[in-house]
Amino acid sequence: MATANNSASGNSSDRGPLIALRGVNRHFDDGAIAALTNVDLEIKPGDCVAIIGASGSGKSSLINLLCGIDHPSAGTVLWQGKPVRRQSRWSRLRRSCIGIVFQEFNLIPTLTAIENVELALFGCRMSSAHRQARSAIMLNRVGLDARMHSLVTTLSGGERQRVAIARALINNPSLLLADEPTGSLDSVNATLVADLLLKLREDLGTALVLVTHDEALAARCTRRLRIKDGRVAQTAIDLAPARSEAGGPASP
Amino acid sequence: MNLAGLALRNLKRRPVRTSLTVLGIGLAVGSALALISLSHSIDESAREEIDEMGDDLVVMQKGASDIFGGFIPEQTVERVGAVPGVTRVSGELFMFAPSSAERSVLTEGWPDGSYLWKKVPLREGRVPASGERSVAILGEGVAIALGKKLDDTIAILGKQFSVIGIANYTAIINRGLVLVPLADLQAASFRPQQVTMIHVNVEHAASPGEIERAKNAIESVGNVTASTANEVLSQDRNFAILDAISLAISIIAAVMGAIYVLNALVMATQERTREIGIFAAIGWSRKRIMASIVVEGILLFIAGSGLGLVLSFVASIAFPFIPTIGNLISFHPSVELMVAALAAAFVLCLIGSLLPAWRAVRMPPAEALRRL
Repeated sequence: MATANNSASGNSSDRGPLIALRGVNRHFDDGAIAALTNVDLEIKPGDCVAIIGASGSGKSSLINLLCGIDHPSAGTVLWQGKPVRRQSRWSRLRRSCIGIVFQEFNLIPTLTAIENVELALFGCRMSSAHRQARSAIMLNRVGLDARMHSLVTTLSGGERQRVAIARALINNPSLLLADEPTGSLDSVNATLVADLLLKLREDLGTALVLVTHDEALAARCTRRLRIKDGRVAQTAIDLAPARSEAGGPASP
Repeated sequence: MNLAGLALRNLKRRPVRTSLTVLGIGLAVGSALALISLSHSIDESAREEIDEMGDDLVVMQKGASDIFGGFIPEQTVERVGAVPGVTRVSGELFMFAPSSAERSVLTEGWPDGSYLWKKVPLREGRVPASGERSVAILGEGVAIALGKKLDDTIAILGKQFSVIGIANYTAIINRGLVLVPLADLQAASFRPQQVTMIHVNVEHAASPGEIERAKNAIESVGNVTASTANEVLSQDRNFAILDAISLAISIIAAVMGAIYVLNALVMATQERTREIGIFAAIGWSRKRIMASIVVEGILLFIAGSGLGLVLSFVASIAFPFIPTIGNLISFHPSVELMVAALAAAFVLCLIGSLLPAWRAVRMPPAEALRRL
C-alpha cells in the first residue's frame, strides 16, 4: 500500500491532518482503468506538497478526489478527521475551505475577471458591493487591478491563471489545490504564476497541493509525492522550510 | 452581480446563441398561437355570422346533414311564424353559387319584406324595394374581392344582378355574402318555393326556458329542427369536419411548439455543462446552480414569448390580406389562448432548463469539466 509519510513535513506535523485519504481507489470504465489504487495520504495545515509523475499516472485524479469534484470508487476521504461523502458537504468545503486552480483555468468566458472572482463568493451572505470590493482587493493582490473589468477571453494565459488563483483564494481557503497551474503557460508566465502561487501560500498560510511536471517547481515545495501507475510510489522530503507554516488562514 | 445579472450577462455576451434560442421560442409560441387561433376562428367566424343576423333560433329540415343540405317548403315559414312566442321569421335560400369570375360566392336569398333587409348595415346604396328583381347587395369583402361597386353587375348562377348596395357587416363570412331577392335565387337555382333555413326571433329570448319552449313548439310543426347558433354548429357535418381539422391543426401546432421550445432550451442548457461543472467546482450548491439555469431559462422565455406574441399578431393582421383566407375567416389570438400558450411555454422552458441542468449537477463536477 502506498502511504505518504507525514512525520517529517515541517512544523505542521504536530497537528491533525486537514484532509486525508484512506485506502482510496479510483477506477473508470467499470474497473477496466485503475487511475488510483489503495492510496493513503494526509495533508496537514500549512503543508506544501508537490505531486509529480508521468502523464496518466493519476495525479489529476488524486487532486479531483482531494477537492471532492470526483468520488473514490473505494476508500474514504476525511476532512479534519471526518469522512466526507455527501456532495452538499463537498460543496460547502469548496465554498469556504478548499480553493482549486486548474491547468485550463476553467473561467467563465462570458464574464470579466472581477465577475469570475466574484462568482466564488456567491452564497457567502454578503452584499454585491462587498463581494466586488473583496474581489477587487484579491485581483489587486495578484497584479490584475488594471484588467479586472476586462473579459477573461481578452486576457493572456498568465493573466487568466492569475484570475483563477484570485478566485481560488478569495474565500481564504485552508487548502489550495493546483492541478498543473503552469502547464498551459510559456516559461516566463509559468515562472510568474509559480512565484505568485508560492508567495500567496506563504502569506496566507494555506496548505498547497500542487500537481506539476516541473521538477524545479516541485523542488520548491516541502514535500514531494511521486505517483506511478496510480500508486504513490515514492515520498521525497524536502526539509527546506516554507516560510509561513502558521496554518491559520490569513485575510487577503 | 446577482443571479439575474449573471444570467443577463451570459445571454448578452453570447448574442448569436441567445438570438437563435429566442427566435426558436418565438417561432414556436407564435406559430402555435397563430395556428390554434386560425383553427378556432373557423368555428368563431360561423358563430359570428349567425349572431350578427340576430337569430335566436335557426330552423332547418329535420335530418339535414349541414346548413346547405336541407330544404323546407316556403309555406312552412308562415306556420313557424304562427307558433306562440315567435315574434318574427324569415325564410332564406342559402348556397355557394357560381359567379362570373369563375368563383363561387356565398349567396343568400331573402323574401320581399323580410325583416332581415331592414337589418342590413348598408355602407352605401339601398335595399331592394318590394317586388324589385335582379338586384343584389354585396358584402364589403366580396365587393372588394370582385372589384364591384354600386351599379355594376354581378352574375349569379348565370343570371345578371345589378349591385344596388354595399353592406358593412363585421363578421367575416357575412362580409363575403351576396344578398339577392329570394324569388330570383329560387328561379336561378331551380328551387321554386323552397328555402334552406328559417331565421326566427323569440319573445324573451334571454330566457333558456322560453327558447326551449319555442324550439319544441316549432318542431311540432313537423319535419323541421329548431336550433340555437351553437347547436347548428355542433350538428352541422361540415362544421364537424372543420372542427376535426382544426383540432388536428391545434394538436400539431401545440406539439410542434412544445418540441421547439424544449429543444431550444435543452440545447442552450446542455452546451453549458462545462460551465455548470465550473460552478460546482467553486462550491456552488446544486440548488444555486439550478436556480441560475432556471433564471436564464425564464429570461429566454420572456424574450421568446414576447417575440412569439408579436409574430402571432403580425400573422393575424397579415393573413386577412390573403384573399383566399381573408374572405372566409379572420383570426385574432384570444386573451385566454395567449395565457394558455404562455403558461405552456413557461412550463416547457422550466422543464427544458431543469432537465439538462439536473443531469449536469448530478454528474461529478470533474466529469462535467471534461465536457466541451
